Amino acid sequence: MKIPVSVESVAMETNDIKRFRIKHRFNEPLPEIHPGAHILTYLPSNEGVIIRPYSLTNRTTDGRYEIAIKLVQKSRGGSFRWHHSVTVGTELEISFPKNILKPELLGRHHVFYAAGIGITPFLTMLHWCKETGRSFELHYGASIKEECLFYGYLKESFKSETRFYFSRERRKERIDYYCSLQRHPIGTHVYICGPPSFIENIINAAKNLGYPRERIHFEAFRSNQIKTKTSPFKVKIEKKCVPVKEDQVLLDVLNENGLSIPYSCRVGQCGTCEITVKKGDVLHQDSFLTEKEKLSFMLPCVSRGKGLIEIDHNSLNLI
Amino acid sequence: MYSFPFPFEEGQSHYFYKNNAVQMKNRTTVQITPNYLKEMKLKRDTIIKNPERCFVALDHTYEAQWEATLYIAKELALRYPDTFTMTSRKYGFTLNNHLLKEEVRFDYKVNKEPLNDIGKHVQEDLILMFQREGQLFLDAGQLCFPSNWSLAFNKGMAFMDIHRPVPGFQEGQLDRRIERFLLHLCPGDPFERSNWSLMAGETLNTHLETFPEWGKKRYSVTEDTVGNYVHVRVEVQKLHRLPKTYTILFTIHTHLLSLKELSKDLNKANQLYTILLSLPKPIEEYKGITPYKSHVMNYLEGVL
Ligand code: HEM
Repeated sequence: MKIPVSVESVAMETNDIKRFRIKHRFNEPLPEIHPGAHILTYLPSNEGVIIRPYSLTNRTTDGRYEIAIKLVQKSRGGSFRWHHSVTVGTELEISFPKNILKPELLGRHHVFYAAGIGITPFLTMLHWCKETGRSFELHYGASIKEECLFYGYLKESFKSETRFYFSRERRKERIDYYCSLQRHPIGTHVYICGPPSFIENIINAAKNLGYPRERIHFEAFRSNQIKTKTSPFKVKIEKKCVPVKEDQVLLDVLNENGLSIPYSCRVGQCGTCEITVKKGDVLHQDSFLTEKEKLSFMLPCVSRGKGLIEIDHNSLNLI
Repeated sequence: MYSFPFPFEEGQSHYFYKNNAVQMKNRTTVQITPNYLKEMKLKRDTIIKNPERCFVALDHTYEAQWEATLYIAKELALRYPDTFTMTSRKYGFTLNNHLLKEEVRFDYKVNKEPLNDIGKHVQEDLILMFQREGQLFLDAGQLCFPSNWSLAFNKGMAFMDIHRPVPGFQEGQLDRRIERFLLHLCPGDPFERSNWSLMAGETLNTHLETFPEWGKKRYSVTEDTVGNYVHVRVEVQKLHRLPKTYTILFTIHTHLLSLKELSKDLNKANQLYTILLSLPKPIEEYKGITPYKSHVMNYLEGVL
């Protein structure tokens, strides 16, 4: 279900990050949100609707949502549009708030590791921890203070829980994950958001230190989702053969062709759009399926085929 | 207009397990049927007699109970404006139930079991599933009309363990796949499914705890009584992810229809007959149909 909204205000947060406040077009309060939630934005453009996920950095008491968007260099789609053609009053649609990170209700201690724009999903989680008296800490890496999103706010609201690391300030610092992870008590839940290498390094460190998989939560860095080089391929469903152009997403092509595959995150992380592959080679790009599952399933929101792939139509309405 | 939710898909001619949950078009959690008053009385009587059987809640469920309570109350007021009105208050809201002629206050400071309180105004059983460390747990619920299971026993139990008694449910990792499906359920995108069985008698409050009382009815079905006495029991189950606490609200509405009534539609009688023929023995036993199945088959053959 989509919610009709319009942009209520736009603010320049740093050099390349804008913050947008969004309200319901009929002024109803937008749904309450779970800490860590994101929305999908459906922005109309000449080239069709641009669908992008963005973390909610805040839900105001009067039921508005806020998102922060970094202008990605070389961006042709999402962030470029948002920065250059969205102004106060722009109308668009959004999804209901969804969540991948999900704070652990009974976690003993919560530790957040953020790099750059990766801070965005954590703002509502930090707020939740504070408000409900939970034990938490934030480790936040950025290049310099001026580029550090929400620096002032974090310093003011979570002073004793936050540690900043600036890699290009006079005193150069980076997060020492090993050292940091080692200090947390048993029962700690770790949440990671940033570029892929950042996530990978911390996950590996945590695994090596014996953190159970269920206590490591992460969310892929959103602006990196658009792979630069993709190739066209074909997909066969029942007896029909449909081409997928290099700039098309398989999930969208399938749904435009009369299927109604449910989806959620569109970044290959939640598994909702999982389909069964009968034949052909798949270029998996998700971070959800296990190696074994990749032999028979794929997530069409991010993964693509090579040449021709065939989809098991019968499996579609099963899950 | 009320109609009995016939549980089989068009053309379905044999019994098999799958995740039969489908996206819900009207996005509702509850339904008011002509049996409302009768069932509310039974529900409340059952709660008064055996409260520990009908409601459980772990401590951390309080916020989610409130979210579910508001979610349901808002829906009642919106969909049944002649029957329910809801007025916001400083610390909660007031619900006017015009069918029961009641005015009930829901107050954050007073109601410690809001789910149990709102449950007294709807025919559904209300279960809350909490996600912890990648699994779903039944940490709160109101259950008055169960199909032979115990809330007290299942309290705090994981989805996979809850379904352990269901024969064949682990085959092809169906249980895991269904759990994964549930883990990915999103706010604003609810699903529904139905579950069916047959039962001897017309009892809604068939708790596992009282099995000795109602279970023996399975042996008292006769050739003469089968049509009126044996009922098709259908549970319409709805799954909503609540946006604020990310709890899953699982509502179960149980409907009963006698074989005789069902058989007024020969197509339906025929489909039930066909599916019963193909019902695997372990599932037939699990559903408790075995003791009187031959009577049912003979009856349906007579009708057809
Ligand atoms: C998330 C909420 C759910 C809860 C709390 C729940 C709970 C239960 C319980 C308590 C039973 C009875 C087990 C017993 O005999 O002790 C049961 C049976 C069953 N459940 Fe679920 N369930 C849920 C969701 C689902 C879903 C989503 C599916 C399938 C898509 C499913 C499929 C079944 C089936 C097939 C049975 C056997 C019923 C029969 O054959 O009569 N359940 N469930």
